[in-house]
Amino acid sequence: MKIGFPRALFYYDYFPFWAGFFHELGIEVVTSPPTQRQIMEQGLKKASDETCLPLKLLAGHIQAFKDVDAIFLPRMVSVEADTYSCPKFLGIPESLLSAVPSGMRVLTVTLNWRKGTRQVLKDLQVFGLQLGKGKADIGKALTVGQEWQKRYQNSSGEGFDFEESLREIESTTQDLPYSPKGIVPNYDTDRLRIALVGHSYLTHDPYANLNILKRLRAKADVELVQHVKQEEIEVHLLGLRKKIFWKHAKQIYGAGNKFVTDPKIDGIIYLSCFGCGTDAVVQELLARFAREQHKPYMTITLDEHSGEAGLVTRLEAFLDMVERRKVHEGYISTHGERLDCDSNTL
Amino acid sequence: MKVTFPHMGNAWIVIQTLFESLNVEVVVPPLNSKRTLQLGTRLSPESACLPMKLNLGNYIEAVKEGADTIVITGGIGPCRFGYYGEVERQILRDAGYAYDMVTLEPPDGSLLGLAGRIRYLAGAKNSWGKILKTLRFAYLKSVALDRVEDLIHAARPRLPDPRETEKLYEDAKVRIAQTMTELGVKETVRWVQESIRERQPVLNTYERVSNPLRIGIIGEIYTILDPYTSVGIEEELGRLGAEVDRSIYLSGWIGNHVFQGLAPGYRSIRSYPDYAKPYLPHFVGGHGQETVGAAVKFAQEGFDGIIQIFPLSCMPEIVAASVLPRVQEAYKVPIMTLIVDEHTGHAGIQTRLEAFVDLLERKNIEPRSEQKRGEVLGFGGR
Repeated sequence: MKIGFPRALFYYDYFPFWAGFFHELGIEVVTSPPTQRQIMEQGLKKASDETCLPLKLLAGHIQAFKDVDAIFLPRMVSVEADTYSCPKFLGIPESLLSAVPSGMRVLTVTLNWRKGTRQVLKDLQVFGLQLGKGKADIGKALTVGQEWQKRYQNSSGEGFDFEESLREIESTTQDLPYSPKGIVPNYDTDRLRIALVGHSYLTHDPYANLNILKRLRAKADVELVQHVKQEEIEVHLLGLRKKIFWKHAKQIYGAGNKFVTDPKIDGIIYLSCFGCGTDAVVQELLARFAREQHKPYMTITLDEHSGEAGLVTRLEAFLDMVERRKVHEGYISTHGERLDCDSNTL
Repeated sequence: MKVTFPHMGNAWIVIQTLFESLNVEVVVPPLNSKRTLQLGTRLSPESACLPMKLNLGNYIEAVKEGADTIVITGGIGPCRFGYYGEVERQILRDAGYAYDMVTLEPPDGSLLGLAGRIRYLAGAKNSWGKILKTLRFAYLKSVALDRVEDLIHAARPRLPDPRETEKLYEDAKVRIAQTMTELGVKETVRWVQESIRERQPVLNTYERVSNPLRIGIIGEIYTILDPYTSVGIEEELGRLGAEVDRSIYLSGWIGNHVFQGLAPGYRSIRSYPDYAKPYLPHFVGGHGQETVGAAVKFAQEGFDGIIQIFPLSCMPEIVAASVLPRVQEAYKVPIMTLIVDEHTGHAGIQTRLEAFVDLLERKNIEPRSEQKRGEVLGFGGR
């Protein structure tokens, strides 16, 4: 059996788990090709207008499969106790059925860690019946999946390269030899250090974000949300009166907070997409904190109409500003402290 | 301490009663208006949804009347509204408004914490017995308000003078807001019923549709409960001669959200998830699944059309909106989606509503035989 796993949305964070799970069950997993123009165009045609860019991309990836027996679209309700995923994750696969090519089988399973391991195991066992696998097999596959996921997450931290890690996992699932490229990131103290925060499916998808990561890396060292250890994120969440209840948002806010307080970081870029509900909240909180701490901060909002030239201009202007601030020290006047207090454009 | 709260349709009547019976000073912010929205939009994040923008506007307008404490309900997601309390607190703080914010929810699941917050609001003088009794009375009021609203829905397309119907509705609201006894609440509902019946005979002589179109309104709760936000869609449809029903009523929400399902409300929303099962088997936060379920229910009850309303970028409703075409296909019922934000204009919505009602009415007109090309040329078939 050959299952198609779209390279979009949940791929960037949870592919290791599902790869391990299916690998243990002896099911081949194929990922769709990296996002390109045709995929985006197909997605725009089939997805609903109101939804956000990542979901439109997912709709495109679904149509990019050839020669697979089924497409796998899990409903990732929650991946951690007391949190949810974004509501749009909860509506998968129903909200995307219109994008599935006719005659293609869709496999889905609800993953909800809010109710504990037992419930997850039960849901997966029901799913296993569709695949023709027994309870024992599923139990073992769950453990392996968790191991793979853990290894992926533990390898995060400074110098973590998600592209390499994901490529390694993909080669393993298809029994291909894997040769690490072995680029060791060297942090030069003279270079600018910019933090790029945002959802993994935006920061990690070079087509969707107009190659922002590569562009930034050409001029500065880049830190991502994934480079911050989970324990550090937890510490930085303590300042909130009420706990954030989205897993992704928690990670972004915690890591973003750390970047704001970290003197080694010269500036922060928040990568968001039009219509993102959780970003509307988290971005606001983070922007407030950055303003308070006088940290250079910029929001880039992506959608399907984003133009390259506009992005390049903004990036250059931002980097120039940060650079100048670093050299000349950017405290302008004490009087102007609250000049921007009415602005919500930050 | 002077308490204030955000508006949501008729909810102010219930909340005002609640605090006044407990002898807590309460400020009812001016009703939602263009000004409210302008004030709120200035401070809100650009991509937050319309309810947050109106909430902030309400708070700012209430400051002028001396309010210093905000009461708001919370939630544990995944709808954004559950986190708005914290964001609004920070926004108001940074904008220089000295507000105290009390979120009525069990903090981290602790009921004791919730009790503490209620106690803080109610003061030391009120006994728990009195608080519970007041809650019950406020709940009764909300049920009565919903009954009145539903009667008005039915009256709008049937009574000859729309202005008189609106006046009746306004009067009834004032009466319910003022009365402090259960009997008074019941009397008002009866008074509305009788007033409508009195005007009914006029109907028979007046040539108006006796069997009006039926249109179901579904969508995000704030937008459908608040007439300012929905650009008066119910009144507008009533004037166009359509009878409106709605998926969620205030008391249904109170029963489910505040009393955790212990009270059903005027119209319980508990049955909707079952209706939604074939199309959206899992909840998606907010009232997304309820929206789909209500659409199925309205379709099964033979409604002529369904209108979904939600604020721009509302996450659960976007999921519902992408599922609704399949309901439309299965039941052959027209479903229209209206998205509102701070730029929504009255005229635009009105045009779309008129077109939608026209479309529905056309279906009921007897099909005429199609004119042939030759007949057109021969002018009248000669």
